[in-house]
Formats: sequence, C-alpha cells, structure tokens
Amino acid sequence: MSHLWRRHRHWLAPTLFILPGALLFGVVIILASIETIWVSFFDWDGVGPMQWVGLANYEQLFADPQFYVSLKNNVIWLAMFMLAPPLGLALALLLNQAIAGMKFLKSLFFVPLVLASVTVGVVFTWVYDPTFGLLSLIYGWFGATAPALLSDEHLVSFAVVIAALWPQVAFCLVLFLAGLNNLNEDLIGAGRVDGARGFAMLLHVVLPQLREVSFIALAVTIIGALRSFDMVAVMTSGGPFGSSTVLAYQMYEQSIFSYRFGYGAAIATVLFAVMAVFIAWYLRTLLRPEQETA
Amino acid sequence: MQRNTDSMAGVALATTRRRFMIGTGAVLAGGLLARPAIAQARELTIISNIGNADQRTVLQRLADEYAKASGVAVTINNMDHEAHKTAIRSYLVVGAPDICFWFSGNRMKAFVKRGLFDDISDLYEREGYKDVLGATTGALTVDDRQYGLPLGGLLWGMFYRKDVFEEKGWTAPATIEDLLKLGEQARSAGMVPVSMGTKEMWPAAGWFDHMNLRIGGLEKHLALMDGKLPYTDASLKPVFDKWEELIRADLFTPNHTSSGWEQAAAALAQKKAAMMDLAGFIKYGFPPDEVDQLAYVPFPVIDPSIARYEDFSLNSIHIPKNGKNKQDARDFLAYFYKPENLAAFLEAESAVPPRNDCPPSKDPLINAAVESMKTVVGTAQYYDRDTDPDMAQEGLKGFQEFMVKPERRDQILERLEGTRKRIFKE
Repeated sequence: MSHLWRRHRHWLAPTLFILPGALLFGVVIILASIETIWVSFFDWDGVGPMQWVGLANYEQLFADPQFYVSLKNNVIWLAMFMLAPPLGLALALLLNQAIAGMKFLKSLFFVPLVLASVTVGVVFTWVYDPTFGLLSLIYGWFGATAPALLSDEHLVSFAVVIAALWPQVAFCLVLFLAGLNNLNEDLIGAGRVDGARGFAMLLHVVLPQLREVSFIALAVTIIGALRSFDMVAVMTSGGPFGSSTVLAYQMYEQSIFSYRFGYGAAIATVLFAVMAVFIAWYLRTLLRPEQETA
Repeated sequence: MQRNTDSMAGVALATTRRRFMIGTGAVLAGGLLARPAIAQARELTIISNIGNADQRTVLQRLADEYAKASGVAVTINNMDHEAHKTAIRSYLVVGAPDICFWFSGNRMKAFVKRGLFDDISDLYEREGYKDVLGATTGALTVDDRQYGLPLGGLLWGMFYRKDVFEEKGWTAPATIEDLLKLGEQARSAGMVPVSMGTKEMWPAAGWFDHMNLRIGGLEKHLALMDGKLPYTDASLKPVFDKWEELIRADLFTPNHTSSGWEQAAAALAQKKAAMMDLAGFIKYGFPPDEVDQLAYVPFPVIDPSIARYEDFSLNSIHIPKNGKNKQDARDFLAYFYKPENLAAFLEAESAVPPRNDCPPSKDPLINAAVESMKTVVGTAQYYDRDTDPDMAQEGLKGFQEFMVKPERRDQILERLEGTRKRIFKE
C-alpha cells in the first residue's frame, strides 16, 4: 500500500488536491455555462415545458433597442473603469511614503474595499438624491440646483460608474501598494547612481517592475466592468426606463421579472462571448512569459 | 397517539424478516391508498411573504391556536416580500409548502394554468364562501373552479392631509378640472400638487390605470390587459392626451424617477405635497400620531358618462398542488378564514375585508374604503397584476418614460405594441 503510494504520489497527491476544486468548477461553472448556452435556443418561462426555437431568441435580441442601450452602457463601464488602475497607482505612490500617520491614512483609503458593494450603492444614492443629498447641498452653497443624476437618462450610467469606481480604485491601490513593497532596492539604487530621479525613475525603473501587478489590476478591472450588476440593481434597477441597464442586469430582469429564461440565457451567452475575448487575451498574456522562461 | 401505535406495529412486525417485508409492503400499499390517515405526526408548512410585523404576529397566533386545537404541528416560514415573488416559482415545483401567500387574478392564473395551485372549490362549497364573498370570488376563479381565498383588498385612490386642506381652504377634487385647479393653488403655495415616486415604476402604471378606467371604462381596460387591444389603438389617445396635459401642467413631483413611493408618501406627510395616488398602506409613510390626518377621495372623474371603476387589488392565500397535507391545509384555511380571525389579520394593513360578515373595523381608512366600495361599479386589480408579467415589465418602463418624456409617446406605444404582439402571439 505504502509502496504503491510512494510510486504514484508524484501525480496522485496533486490530483487529489485539485479534484474537489475541479469538480466544483466543472459543475458550477462549466456545466452551468454549457446549459445556459443550450437554454438560449429555447422558449422557456422557467417552470413549464421548454420549446425549441433555434436562433429566434438571438434574432429578437439583435432587434431589441434595449440590448443596444445595455451594450452601450457596458462600453461606458469598461471605458470609465480604465481609470481605476492609473488612479490606484497614483494614490499608491502618494501613500507609499514613510510619514507619521500614513498607516491611518492608508486605512481610510481601504474603507470602500471593506464595504459591501450594496452599501456603497446605497450611500451614493443618498449623495445623489436631488432633495437632501450631499451633492445638492454642495450645489446649494453656490446657489445652484444640482442635477438629479439618477433621473437623467444620459448621466445616470456615469453616476453609477463613479460610485462603482470608488471601491475599484481602492482595490487597485492595494495591489500597487503590495507591488511597491516588493520593488528591488538594488535596481532603484543603481538607477539613482545613473542619475534617474522623479518621473524618469518612475517610468524606467519602477513601472517595469510593476508590470505583473499592473496586468492583474487591468484584467480584474475589465472583468469587474463587464460583470457589473449589483450597483445597477441597487442604485437604479436599470432605470430610468432602462437607460442604465447593463447586459448582466438585462439578463436578470428578463429571466426573473419577465419569465423569459431562454431570452435571458441568450443575453448571458452574448455577454459570455464578449468576456471570452478579454479572457483569451488575459490567458495569452499570462501564459506567454511562462513559455519564455520554460 | 397515532405515533405510538405506528411504532408499536413496527416492533411487532420486525420479529421475522419475512413478515417484516410483508408488513412493509402492506404499509406502503396502505400509504398509497390512504396517505393522510397513516401519516405519522401531522405537519403543516406555511410560507408567508408578509413584511408587516403586526400582521405576522396575528398569523403566528392563529397558527398556534389551530395547532393546539387540531394536534397538527404548524410551521411558518417568513420570506422577504420581493424575494418571495421569485422564489415561489421554484418552490411550487420542488419543495412546495402546504399553504402559501400570493396575489389573485392574472398572477394566480399563471400558476393555475401550469397546474401548480390546488382546486379548492370543495372548500368553497363546504364553508359556503360564495355567499359571503359575493363578486370577489371572480378574482380567484378560473373556468368556474376556485384556486385560492381572497385576503385584504387595496382600494386605490387619492390621499391628502385634512389639516392642510382645511388650513388652505381647499376641497378635495372631484373632477380632473378640479385637480388641475388644485394644482395651480398648490404650486402657488410652494407645494407639489401630486406626489409621485416612480423609482419602482409601478406608481406610473397605476396612474395610467386610473386615467384609463375614467376615460375608456373597464371593458376596454381589461381588453388591453388581456392583450386583446393594441397599445396603438385610437381609444387610448385621449388618455395619453390628458395625461400629457397633466404632466405639462407640472402636476407631479420633479425628478420622480429618483425616489420610491415611500419618499413620495413622506413628502405628503411633511406637507411638501398636496395629494398622492396610492392605497391604504400609505399610512406606513406617516408618523403614527398623524395617520388620522389622512383622508381618501376617489380618483377624479374625467368623463362623467363613464361609471365608477376602480383598481381594487386582492392579495390571496393558496394551497399548492404539490403540498403534502392538503386536508389539514383546508382545515387551517377554514379556521384562518373565520370572520373574526380574518378581520384581526387584515386590520394590521388597513385592507378591506373580502367577507361581508367581518366585524366592523376601528380604522377610519378601512371604513372609508369600505364605504367608498359601495358605489364602485366594477374593479380591475392593478396594471402589473392584471396583465402578463412580461408585458407588465415593458409597460411599467414605458409609462415611467412617458411621464419624463411625454414627447416620445408614439415611440413608446409602438414599442409596447411590439411587445404585446410577441407575448400574445398575434
């Protein structure tokens, strides 16, 4: 028995360790994804019998004006979320200094990361409230009337993204702070000897060492922007009249409130396809350096 | 008692394996033939969607009383009201309770059509409910069979503060012209004429309902709800014309999509708004000591030739088809539905009792609604209860959009018409 174990453990042990995770991932993620794609070819209310409709759900989706509103909002999310990594880096550089009280300041910047995103959403809804919100108070001091951001179909998405950016910037900040702690002192010293300082130091010595951290920050931010759902649900429920809906929320709304599971699955499949592009890029970049070193 | 005899039979049967097998077979066969009689401890599970603490207390008390009298163990599982709306669809199929709360009318019909609610016409017969419920029975009837019992009814209409109206010397508007005039007076007093919060969208659809019932009448309204009338039909034009006139007259709260109905009700309570279109539950938006200032008046008349039709939404209670203990469920409903028990349960939410033999209420809002119901000729329930849920979702969005951008009327109605065609397969 022990002989058998010794002979095979080089592959048996890792397999056993991976098995529970792989099994869970297989059932919850892979199988569920395949089933979602399968369901998208049916007309199904979630309870009754399923009826095969082929590509009809997709045809309806591409003719649905709401779909393009959602898609446009996803692009707004994606574009504005790109601000998170540079802002996070800027804050990290600012906070990464040995000054008294800096630890306390840092912890203040981490606060949004600790809050549940629902809490962040509710707080920002209050800030934006046109009658008693902080924003309207600030405008009031200057004798102006604050715009009702969550009621304006053109501004609402930006207002929601700003709320979502707050924790996202904090997340990037943490990543970059960790990265800054792992900088190679020798390289910085060598750079200093060569006369690099200030911006040149940042650009040519510090940033190249943060390459991997930046990559992770960027990838997580992209995925976070695409799967945005909770903020929209909490702050606007996709409103006013669907103008802040994103694909993930539209999928939820169609499946749960309109009893259209097939249609919802079709939206999910399209979202999956969009994400797959970014995931492919992520995996390619992730695997490439390993191949180089191998 | 039942439990003891069962376990003793088990001991005796286990003496030989052969006899045990025979015994098990007999028990199983017996179980198939007469399941309720052989069930061990009798249990009853209820899923409730009640958010109101007072009402929960009453339900728990009734359950305890029933359990004590019948020896049936009753369990109540409370769920969040909104979460329950989605959960019910899975639990009716898998893991159904013996009793659940829901909404009558079209929302009930959706489950009846899929065979998920039990036919309780026998209970109606046994307890003679049709005599005490009258026309209300219709909301629980599909193809002449009854599938649930009506709970409290919510009568929709306009609410205002008596003290404010007295102080300003205003009278409650009887016609739409009165309402427009009141609008001017309220605005010049620095108040919002009609408090509106459409964040959850349904208040806009309610306003549509009430205008359509006043202009088009009940029959046309129900045809629209059943998908038989196009949204682009000419008969809807005067409704949207009038509605647009009200919007352009700044009758409603500005930026109403930012606030929910609670905030809108609070504006009325704080004397920032003159009136609001809601049902008796508006009192939750008021401080308890100011509730007695609330007064009800029916939605103003627009076309005097149209009889008085109102939205009267009925919540309901049902026995799921896949529940285990249908006999005890019926007995519990009969107990729960006794006039005094039902009245105690409904008192907590200011809802109109569906039975005509309930003891009179002390709540002035209930009594006002009961009194007002006497002149109502016919009722609908509410937009998102009357029409298909998929249609309702698009409709709610469309009405909210219309209230903000009335100039997009044609675009919105075209879109709703497209949705109607898709859903009702024309």
